[in-house]
Amino acid sequence: MDRRKFLGLGLAVLALAPLTKLNATDYRKEKPDAWKAVKPADGIKALYGDITPEEKGVTIKAPKLAENGGKIPVVVKSDIEAKSVAIFQDANPRATVAVWTVPEGGIVDYAITMKMKGSGKITAIVEGKDGKFYSKVLPIEVSKGGCGG
Amino acid sequence: MKVKAKEKNGIVKVKVLAKHQNIGPEEGEKKKKEANFITSVVAKVGDTVVYEMNGSGFMSKNPLYKFKFKGKKGDEIEVTWTDLKGNTKSKKVKIK
Repeated sequence: MDRRKFLGLGLAVLALAPLTKLNATDYRKEKPDAWKAVKPADGIKALYGDITPEEKGVTIKAPKLAENGGKIPVVVKSDIEAKSVAIFQDANPRATVAVWTVPEGGIVDYAITMKMKGSGKITAIVEGKDGKFYSKVLPIEVSKGGCGG
Repeated sequence: MKVKAKEKNGIVKVKVLAKHQNIGPEEGEKKKKEANFITSVVAKVGDTVVYEMNGSGFMSKNPLYKFKFKGKKGDEIEVTWTDLKGNTKSKKVKIK
């Protein structure tokens, strides 16, 4: 088989593979409005509808004062059996930062590094398997804005 | 992309360090750079998805992701990220 054909086959397999095996919920495709929301409340509504989360069961670990707004380490933890977890903040042009789909038997203990343009509040929402929502809000201060600020 | 996976007492801790600019659309406009950021990160052990996250332009540049799941040593975990432009990168490592 000449090389071009062989490479072409390889690429075709690569292109198909992710589509067939993924049972992931791609929130960017399913909830595009959530990513456009400016305020956390709008992001939460777009993602989960009109919910009244209980402020319990979720912890957010983040530095009280972030020296570099461009790389803020944040950890979201919860012991609740969850379907999904989402993080929002109110210091950037748009609110939604990340959404996780929790796999069967998954552990909610996620760490990321994010950006915030200035000081603000981080909101984490956990969508429980029991159909209820749980939240936590953590204010943090940022000394040097990181979103191109 | 660097991936490290270590198992202890049945729980695997994973650290992923991705190399990506993660420029959000507003940032891109301001800095006159093309907006592109990691939109999804998926980790699998075999056919089972053990981690999936959708991201935004507000993740930091060269982001660090950490997560845990129930697993065992010797299994292989494959982490794949996809960005706004459709580029993807994958890394497979053995759980230690």
